Amino acid sequence: MNAARASIAGISYAFPETSRSLHQLAQAGELSSDPALLSSFGFERVHVAIAESPYDLAVRAASRLLAEHDVDPDSVDVVLYGGAPAATAYAPGGDGGPGHERRWHGMTRFEFPGARLQYDLGMTRATVIGLDQFACSTLFGAVRVARALCAAEGARRVLCVSADFFPADAGREAIFNCTSDAACALLIEGAGERNRILAGEQATKGYYWQCEEKRAEIVASYFPTARHVIERVIEHAGWRREDVDWVIPHNVSARSWDILLGLVRLPRARLWGANIGRHGHTLAGDNFINLRDAIDDGSVLPGQRLLLFSFGYGAHWSALAVEA
Amino acid sequence: MTSRRPTIFITGASGQIGRGVLHRLLGADPAVQCVVLARDVSAWRAGAQDVPASRVSPVRGDLLLPRLGLDQPTLRQLAGRVTHVLHLAADTEFSRPLEVAREINVRGTARLLEIATGWAELRGFVHVSTAFVAGRRTGPIPEAAAMHGPGWVNAYEQSKAEGEELVRASSLPWSILRPSTIVCDDISGRVSRRIVVHRALRVLHHGLASMLPGDESGTIDVITRDYACEAIARLAMHRGLENRTLHLCAGAAALPLGELLDITFDFWAETPEWKRRAIDRPALTDLATYALFEQSIEETGDRRLRGIAASLSHFVPQLALSKQFDTSGADTLLGAPAPSVRSYWVRMLEYLLASWEQPAARLRYRKEVAA
Repeated sequence: MNAARASIAGISYAFPETSRSLHQLAQAGELSSDPALLSSFGFERVHVAIAESPYDLAVRAASRLLAEHDVDPDSVDVVLYGGAPAATAYAPGGDGGPGHERRWHGMTRFEFPGARLQYDLGMTRATVIGLDQFACSTLFGAVRVARALCAAEGARRVLCVSADFFPADAGREAIFNCTSDAACALLIEGAGERNRILAGEQATKGYYWQCEEKRAEIVASYFPTARHVIERVIEHAGWRREDVDWVIPHNVSARSWDILLGLVRLPRARLWGANIGRHGHTLAGDNFINLRDAIDDGSVLPGQRLLLFSFGYGAHWSALAVEA
Repeated sequence: MTSRRPTIFITGASGQIGRGVLHRLLGADPAVQCVVLARDVSAWRAGAQDVPASRVSPVRGDLLLPRLGLDQPTLRQLAGRVTHVLHLAADTEFSRPLEVAREINVRGTARLLEIATGWAELRGFVHVSTAFVAGRRTGPIPEAAAMHGPGWVNAYEQSKAEGEELVRASSLPWSILRPSTIVCDDISGRVSRRIVVHRALRVLHHGLASMLPGDESGTIDVITRDYACEAIARLAMHRGLENRTLHLCAGAAALPLGELLDITFDFWAETPEWKRRAIDRPALTDLATYALFEQSIEETGDRRLRGIAASLSHFVPQLALSKQFDTSGADTLLGAPAPSVRSYWVRMLEYLLASWEQPAARLRYRKEVAA
């Protein structure tokens, strides 16, 4: 897998129109922890979908990506579509809006958002694959499958899309992390030069499938497993630890990143953590939204070595080594 | 008045080490008489039925009381009879507030020194301390007075260091023995007294320890109770020990933390059910990162994790403070070093694993964690 040549040729994302501050979330009863504590973990605002559906954001992110990179829709070979909470990502039509449960009956149950996206964006040559059960590491799973498709089937362009909405009645906090609704789209190319994926690692620990019951064990296993996965991806990329120019994180508590960076002995200054406060945890999109923003603001320069790491409940630890 | 028989006054004779030392003293020299300090003489007698009453006599007293609570006739009798003092009693709880720990470990020692100073027949005062009076010092630790410097990890270490200072400052013919951490009874691996090390191993086995401070090559010094008892008994009346400090430690036979963890996790992985869980070895990190993790657990962890972190907090920093205890003095006097840790660590793990699988042990563990 790690020998497969592929690159992240483009990244686009879409947030809903509405955002909320920690204070507003607390007033609305959307947080279970003290907002001061969450603030000390780096959180400031999150994006909350009011009028938009997951599919609205997915199509916005994907169409923006195709436009920004002037991609002929017919040149896309595969669409990989996923989202963190499967029930909304795979809701018929992908809209996940009120009353979607009713549409799980009859033939409408097969109205999948991946196929709809293929049609709506005119990607007539593309085949569609849905990805599920990766939670917040969905796009890492998508990149892995995309690389495999490039290597095994000669795919030249794979569009990876995730649309993640936190359930409407679940508040805006997941285990001390403030969550946003968002969609993110990646263009993986077999022959791209920018953002070459040098190595990818994933560890899955099925023992932790009972997320609620094993909550303490999962918290305990998070750091050592994260360190293993990070060390392995650095090794497989042929890097040394000190070669890493930027750590592009998933937007969980900055405190947890301080600990993880201490464990892998990388300086805090290498963490591109600006979006933790601005966007909160967008579930699957974090690392790639951050990568796009880090490129746009000039932080990431061509040739720099980037480490992306994420954890998805269920339980997956994933990392990518990318040369910008 | 000169005693014809060596008579040893022992504090802490009913403790983990005390009982084993007492038996060895009696076995080694049929002439030895012992006087043991006991808070409750009836309880002592009830628990010491395997000790010949003709050779061991309890006196009611308490290190917490002025002059140990001994009346004048008893003090006079001891003053004319005792040839050696073996001070084993200690408050070994790591989590005590300092002032509480000092009550026995410092002030109790001072009270004992005060009365022993008047004992005309006294030839030796053996103070049993701990190797961890070295506290936060790292690297080679000589068999010498503890040097002040970076401080201590817990009140036990500090109070024992302060107790040593009192002993050194006394005019008595003192010697100080510093045992390391006792993890099992002997090389059979049996564990008759659980300490924080065993609690930490249980937490690791359950996959509830995310990280530990320390590095792969830092040595972790542990010994068996059997070795400690044998060494103390042999040195308790040894001539020529005056003003000497000796380490009863694994020393060169101590294993690196990384190797201990590897041995431990490899052993547990022999159980298929445990192996299936794919529990990672805890990540080793520096003290600053570990402190951040502890803070994070305190702020966000559930009750179980908070309880675990708190229960280990008075011990785990030592894992990052690697020490190589010099044992040359003790080894020379005893004729052999402590048993290699490698010779019993797995047997100890076997014993612990078997005991954890007992329903009563599981219940006790759950209660401990819940508390």
